[in-house]
Amino acid sequence: MTAAGLDSSPRKVSAAGGSAPAAMRLTRLYAASRRIPVALGLLAAVGALLAVALDQHWAIAGGPAAQRVIPLSAEACAAAVIAVSCHGPFGEAERATGRWLPWLQLAAAVALTAAAFGVLAAAGPAGLLPGGAWAVLRNVAGMSGLGLLCASGLGGPFGWVGPAAYLVISEAGLAAGWSTPWLWAGRPPHDLGGAVCAGVACAAGLAAITLTGARGPSRSAGPG
Amino acid sequence: MNVELADLTRRFGRTTAVDQVSLEISAGVFGLLGPNGAGKTSLLRMMATVLPPSSGRIQLLGRDPGDYGPRREIRRRLGYLPQSLGYYPGFTVAEFVEYFALLKDMPPGQVPRAVAMAIERVGLGDRARAKLRTLSGGMLRRAGIAQAIVNEPELLLLDEPTAGLDPEQRMAFRALLREFGERATVIVSTHLVEDVGAACTDVALMDRGQLSFHGTPAELTARGEGSGAAGDAPLERGYTAALAAARAGAAGARA
Amino acid sequence: MTAAVTAPARPGLPHAAAAPLTFARLVRIELRRNAVPWVVPVMAALLWFDSYRPSTAVPAFWMLRTFWNMGQGHTIIDTGPLVAGVAAWMGSRDARRGMADLAAAAARPRWTAQLATWAATAAWAVGAYLALTGALFAVYAAQGLRGTPPWWWLATGAVAVAAFSAAGFAVGALFPSRFAAPLAAFGAFLAMGTSSQAGFSATSGWALLLPTNANGNYQVPTGIDYHYLPDLPIARLMFLGGIAVAAVGLLGLRERAGGQRLRAAAAAVTLAGVAATATAVGLATTARQAADGIVIPALHDAASDRPLSYTPSCQRAGDVPVCLNPVFGSLLAGVTAGLRPALAAVAGLPGAPARVTEVAGTYTANEGSSGQAMTISGRPPVLRLPLDAETLPGSFGQTPAEFAGQLQVLFLEAFTGTSSGSGSPAQHAVLAALLQQAGQPFGAQPALLAMAGPGAPGPGPGGAAGPVYAAARRLAALPAATRHAWLAGHLAALRSGAITLGQLP
Repeated sequence: MTAAGLDSSPRKVSAAGGSAPAAMRLTRLYAASRRIPVALGLLAAVGALLAVALDQHWAIAGGPAAQRVIPLSAEACAAAVIAVSCHGPFGEAERATGRWLPWLQLAAAVALTAAAFGVLAAAGPAGLLPGGAWAVLRNVAGMSGLGLLCASGLGGPFGWVGPAAYLVISEAGLAAGWSTPWLWAGRPPHDLGGAVCAGVACAAGLAAITLTGARGPSRSAGPG
Repeated sequence: MNVELADLTRRFGRTTAVDQVSLEISAGVFGLLGPNGAGKTSLLRMMATVLPPSSGRIQLLGRDPGDYGPRREIRRRLGYLPQSLGYYPGFTVAEFVEYFALLKDMPPGQVPRAVAMAIERVGLGDRARAKLRTLSGGMLRRAGIAQAIVNEPELLLLDEPTAGLDPEQRMAFRALLREFGERATVIVSTHLVEDVGAACTDVALMDRGQLSFHGTPAELTARGEGSGAAGDAPLERGYTAALAAARAGAAGARA
Repeated sequence: MTAAVTAPARPGLPHAAAAPLTFARLVRIELRRNAVPWVVPVMAALLWFDSYRPSTAVPAFWMLRTFWNMGQGHTIIDTGPLVAGVAAWMGSRDARRGMADLAAAAARPRWTAQLATWAATAAWAVGAYLALTGALFAVYAAQGLRGTPPWWWLATGAVAVAAFSAAGFAVGALFPSRFAAPLAAFGAFLAMGTSSQAGFSATSGWALLLPTNANGNYQVPTGIDYHYLPDLPIARLMFLGGIAVAAVGLLGLRERAGGQRLRAAAAAVTLAGVAATATAVGLATTARQAADGIVIPALHDAASDRPLSYTPSCQRAGDVPVCLNPVFGSLLAGVTAGLRPALAAVAGLPGAPARVTEVAGTYTANEGSSGQAMTISGRPPVLRLPLDAETLPGSFGQTPAEFAGQLQVLFLEAFTGTSSGSGSPAQHAVLAALLQQAGQPFGAQPALLAMAGPGAPGPGPGGAAGPVYAAARRLAALPAATRHAWLAGHLAALRSGAITLGQLP
């Protein structure tokens, strides 16, 4: 093997020196491989769109259920972005490494969910966002959980299917006046049942993505 | 023994990819030969702890990978190059290797040097800052090898590592394998018998999920002598003869 | 492998004949390896939950059961965004799999290969839509729905799904990334959302073309008294088909799509799609509301306006025949029983109907058409009952007793001249007295009037304890012959508003 051209100073290759910088460096590389900066940009764009919609009083006629379409769509879209961000490009080479990967997956999902909550809650001035910040937190957390479950089961690139389906079901359920806590978007913001169900969905999604990761297409499980 | 397999079996639906394979492998370079679809990759994936066996027992580096704690320890000491390596095209070579070094839980202080060394060992020192999307297929393969060896693994699993390498790189790679084989267990799955002849101390031949030969390259070569088997080189003729004998034996057993 | 392998003979088909065959084979391969089937179960679940379940709450008429899922486009909401997302995933496949160079280097233009992938995606999506909505229609047919199915709207739904697949595919092919699929799906949701918003507030112009807009073009008499007018569906097919064609054409404009001539053809295809969409928008601006739906003059066939002919089903309420479209045959007994006491209360008075006949309702917008007024006209007088526009038993929880009360209110409002929310206090007092005679107690009447009326009536009778009801109670307390004689002598003046509350006996 040739050594020609190799940078003899390792510091120029990597800045990692101690434990904390190494953790930061690993986090940064993980985030880059999952396009998390792009995901954050998209979350900001969704938040901006919601802010414009609320400011301009975009509302769909047809009753209170229909008027939640735009905020709920924004929340579901944010959850979808979070779900597809879980998918990694490295396949089995990454899975066959040490202990950090599950924690990175968990941390990324939690951080993105928190970011989504932040931008969406900030998008709505007091009184304009149906249910206020608590409802945003509950809805985003619950739908992110569904997205993560989908990413774990169907594959990372299809993580968006869960939030999309839940959005349609929520709208139909709201229009029909359903009050089951599993339709948490239709419950009052401080309702315990809705919060518990959303929390269960969120916890299940986070557990699935931590323990199994997002299924990827890099290798089909076949003989060979 | 760094690798102990006992009656290891893996099924995919009705297909048995690996059929009751028993094997013990110590330090050195171990070649896993076989035709396409023989079950080499499935066996390697089980040893890489990413595919659980359907039945049988597996011990890696003295630990059972079925349990979480031991599996974690194994993975810290493992290097794995899958047949199909995924990569993020926006990473540089250095970032790619460093990412895996960090994931493998290497002491942070050692990471920069280990990354630089791994990149140099595969001959990509001058491309350390190049984005992966700009590399040729052979260079990508070498970047994959670099991530596998960055943690100085005690168990190095390489699936078709020389695919896409030019002759010069292939020779250098064989030297690298020999060097690693002095202190670690290196298992190379390949269908290129010349790689085995040049680098391996032990070799096994897989066919239809079963081990049909286990010995040294010299023993495999001896199988071909006077057999009239096809092949351009002695080891290739040995491979062909061993494969033909295994198939004849299997046919006889069925009859 | 053996050394003695002979090269396969080159296919002997002439190029012109081989191209469609090759394309068909490409499509066949793509059909086998397509992602849409993976989301068909989700689509089926959503259709059942969002399109079928809510529709069962309304009576068994095609136009009522399919108003929500076909007229307001819920079958498209349930499928279109998912299709757009999966199509984006398929569109980005070459880039994701590193096959872009391989495809570009093939003898066939890359656009052809992409068209094959899209065609298979669209075929799966449209096939799934038609199969699922077909199953929905089959369930309705098994339930014995009356009227005729909205076939035109089924066709527009299928083309809408194709448009979503094309738009999603273009997003995926032009911006390949992991985010392409969710952005295409939620972009489709947003399009449907804004479509609903514009559609609910617009009854003319381009908004009519939006797939969730049912205003004025999907109304209750259609399929019962009139054919489904094809004008707007045709324009909508042009609009959605144009979007699909333009999106697919866009893919051929890129440098790597193919040769110069092929790119020119792609540009022509794109322009054709844009032209179709623009033409549809232009046509929609000329649309006007007619009794039987939205009419677009350039597309209108006068033959479509002919009402559907039928032999009415009749029963007698005392001496008065009550005749309905046989589509409403199941309601005939309830209508007759509901009207009977009210008809008896006015029997022999001037303007009392000699016959009750069902007519088609008229609409200006699709929402709030329930409780439409009845009219009495002709000699002998005929009560015209727009049954399709009333809240039928089963709709919104309407009970048979409430339905009967609604019919009595609407009939007696027509009889006393208090229809359309107008009427003097004297008219309302007489209305209340007649309702009481028909079996509706004074105390229950304010709620009944509020439920039956199209809106809050003008002056209205006020509360049950007010002066109107005091006069009504006085009138109702009179002997039947005295009251009948007073009404016979004063009804004409009462209807013209010339009688005051104080002039009532």
